Amino acid sequence: MSLLEIRSASRSFGSLLAVDEVSMAVETGELRAVIGPNGAGKTTFFNLISGLLSPTAGSIIFDGQDVTGTKPATRVGLGMARTFQITEIFPELTVRENLLIPVELAAGLKFSPRAPAAIQELIDQRVLDLLGTGNLDARADRLAGELSHGDQRATEIMMALALNPRLVLLDEPTAGMGDQETYAIAQLIRRLHRDAKLTIVLIEHDMRVVFNLADRITVLDRGKLLAEGSPKEIASNEVVQAAYLGKTE
Amino acid sequence: MINAARRFWPTVTVCLILLAMPYWMPLFGGYTELSTRILVLGLAAMALNFLLGFTGVLSFGHAAYFGLGAYGVGMAIKYLGTGTVSAIAVGTCAGTLAAALVGRLIVHLRGVYFAMVTIAFGQVFYFIAFRWNSVTGGDDGLTGWRRVPLDFGIAKLDILAGDKSFYYLVLVVFLAAAAAMAALIRSPFGRTLVAIRENERRARFLGIDVERHMWFSFVISSLFVSIAGSLFALLNNFVDPRVLRWDLSGSFVIMAVLGGMRSFWGPLVGAAVFVVLQDYVSSKTENWMSFVGLFFVLVVLFFPRGLLGLLRRRSSHESA
Amino acid sequence: MTQLVLFNVFNGLIVGAFYALMALGLSLILNLSGVINFAHGGFLALGGYIAFTLVPYVGFWGGLVLAPVLTALIGLLLEKVLIRRLYGRDPLYSLLLTFGLAYILEDATRYIWGARSLPYEVPSWLNYSLSPGLFFLTGYRLFMVALVAAAVAGLFALLKYTRLGMRIRAGTLDLETVSVLGVNVRILRNVNFGLGIYLAGIAGVLAAGMLGLQPTIGASLIMPSFVAIIVGGLGSLPGTLLGGLLIGVASGVTAVFAPSGTEAVIYVIMAIVLLVRPRGLLGEEGRV
Repeated sequence: MSLLEIRSASRSFGSLLAVDEVSMAVETGELRAVIGPNGAGKTTFFNLISGLLSPTAGSIIFDGQDVTGTKPATRVGLGMARTFQITEIFPELTVRENLLIPVELAAGLKFSPRAPAAIQELIDQRVLDLLGTGNLDARADRLAGELSHGDQRATEIMMALALNPRLVLLDEPTAGMGDQETYAIAQLIRRLHRDAKLTIVLIEHDMRVVFNLADRITVLDRGKLLAEGSPKEIASNEVVQAAYLGKTE
Repeated sequence: MINAARRFWPTVTVCLILLAMPYWMPLFGGYTELSTRILVLGLAAMALNFLLGFTGVLSFGHAAYFGLGAYGVGMAIKYLGTGTVSAIAVGTCAGTLAAALVGRLIVHLRGVYFAMVTIAFGQVFYFIAFRWNSVTGGDDGLTGWRRVPLDFGIAKLDILAGDKSFYYLVLVVFLAAAAAMAALIRSPFGRTLVAIRENERRARFLGIDVERHMWFSFVISSLFVSIAGSLFALLNNFVDPRVLRWDLSGSFVIMAVLGGMRSFWGPLVGAAVFVVLQDYVSSKTENWMSFVGLFFVLVVLFFPRGLLGLLRRRSSHESA
Repeated sequence: MTQLVLFNVFNGLIVGAFYALMALGLSLILNLSGVINFAHGGFLALGGYIAFTLVPYVGFWGGLVLAPVLTALIGLLLEKVLIRRLYGRDPLYSLLLTFGLAYILEDATRYIWGARSLPYEVPSWLNYSLSPGLFFLTGYRLFMVALVAAAVAGLFALLKYTRLGMRIRAGTLDLETVSVLGVNVRILRNVNFGLGIYLAGIAGVLAAGMLGLQPTIGASLIMPSFVAIIVGGLGSLPGTLLGGLLIGVASGVTAVFAPSGTEAVIYVIMAIVLLVRPRGLLGEEGRV
């Protein structure tokens, strides 16, 4: 059984059909890249998966459960975490605090006045681990809003990780980054995939990242599923090439 | 954690200042009742700030619950003949219950619209107090009752006759309430509220039921504000509809903003400045309303981060 | 009995028209600039008082025409000097600012014109009963309804058919795009604010004729305007109009059966609307 299954999902905005009967199945442990020219409907697709939007047709099945129409918080509770195209973190809190909050939530401390001493140690350790994995130790006590773009993105990804998710959705993680930062984020994602054995779906425009990291690639164009396959298959797929090349005119 | 040491000295300083206030106030031309008023309104402003500064919710109608606390006390003593402590309990329950109900209706709204609705609901209670002459005394206010001296069995506290003894009673309640609020803010729950303030979308996508948490924050904040209202009624031995009016709500907000919304003690500082200024200005001129209005305008234009915000550096560790 | 009901319903309609006029001005400003103009009531009072001062020189009609314009000019000035600075910031600050302005305006009117009620003369040919059977149908009341109707019609016509109106409507939906398209957003907001205050000014002159002038006249009328906007729907001007009329008529009807509840019924309606349809009767999704 696939971890994430999208069955013929569609989403229209008035007369605009942003997503048109797209189906996708992601296996546990897979790293799937979703690519496509601008306006292909990738972010809308993500919004359907994560619950920000409801599909006008079709269904979303996560870990065997039909989550279509459920609220985002419900899906997070089931193990789905996501990042956004425009980094969404807590700007006036320190990096450490940004990570502390999801760690506490993952420990079930939503309404607690205080964490029991034994758990507190585990929490603090987990925060340190996350800081390390994301290479954020040096900046732990700086305000997240003051960090570089790349570090903010790393913080956001580590926040998603802090939730102990089964599936992580990354929306254009390297958007707006230079080569060095892109490399760092790509390495981070690779680490998460290999070491933490996370199932990851990511939207990306940077083909170097896509072809280096992805197990499988899904191509969308103008809301429709264009092609799906291994990086090699997609690279040699003429329809895909036409879609991209056609758009650069 | 790291913050404990940084919190210690300000807290101790504040406590010492407050403990000695009835003694140093007169040196500046003040009087004990003024000190008590600072504590009471300071508590109200801090309670409002729980919602405004820490959860990021723009509530502009908190006088409703303050006023219900006040009327609860007055009516409990006048009609039910209860003692002081029970009266405070009645007032607090009244305010908190009302907030719980109103909160249910409005947690899905945001921003200026939320503010408008909170103001409107505040007016509902104002009208009830105004119209229900027979019970509330209408515009003339609820009279014919006073603070009941406390009898603990082993000791008596005549809070009616002694201004100072009442001050210290209020101080005890104030410190207890402040401690409770501080504990809540620094708890994991408190951090979820700060998360909502910082980035509602991110909070939602970390699995926080934003509306539910906002409701809790609303109720908790109103609980403490109605305690303040109860104390206010006891302070004046009198309640009238003005304790429910929007201008009092606005005053709480300006106190919080002036003192510094992001700081714990900020609203208390703001309240102190506001109360003292208002006392001074109203004794000098009839046009104190213009001064209050001008005060609002100046604070907004020149002190948006508040007095304590000016003192603190940007890269501070204090988040909650 | 029916006469009594009719009287109160008609009265309610007049009051509702009033609320609607005020609420429309408030709504215009709120929709485009995101500012709750707490001082709106203060401007209403100012309109009435300015008319009072002008009437000896230009007569009733002169006052009716000029006072709102002058009030709007004051509004334009205040927007430019004070309110404009706060647009980019948290809505909390503009709310506090207009709050402070409300205080200042009320105290200023009290200072300039005194705290006592002032009578406002309405031309006698207007102020008579049009029908012996329907005693409440005074000329002035009909005139008020007619004037409000004309003002509202004028507003909607301006919004629909003029370039300014189109820009305001577009700006309400997406100010950023409008700015990118070359429209001077600063001037747009300023003019829009002035327009809203102009409506408040008209309401002020009309209120003066009906209720007489007191410094607190504005404060008592602003809350129903809030409720009218909430009930009618956030972001919708027709909704605001509907909301105002609805609560006006509702309080009129309530006056017959439960006189002490005439103000409360407004809030009851608000609570019901919030419970059943939080975005208001004609409100748009996503504005909340």
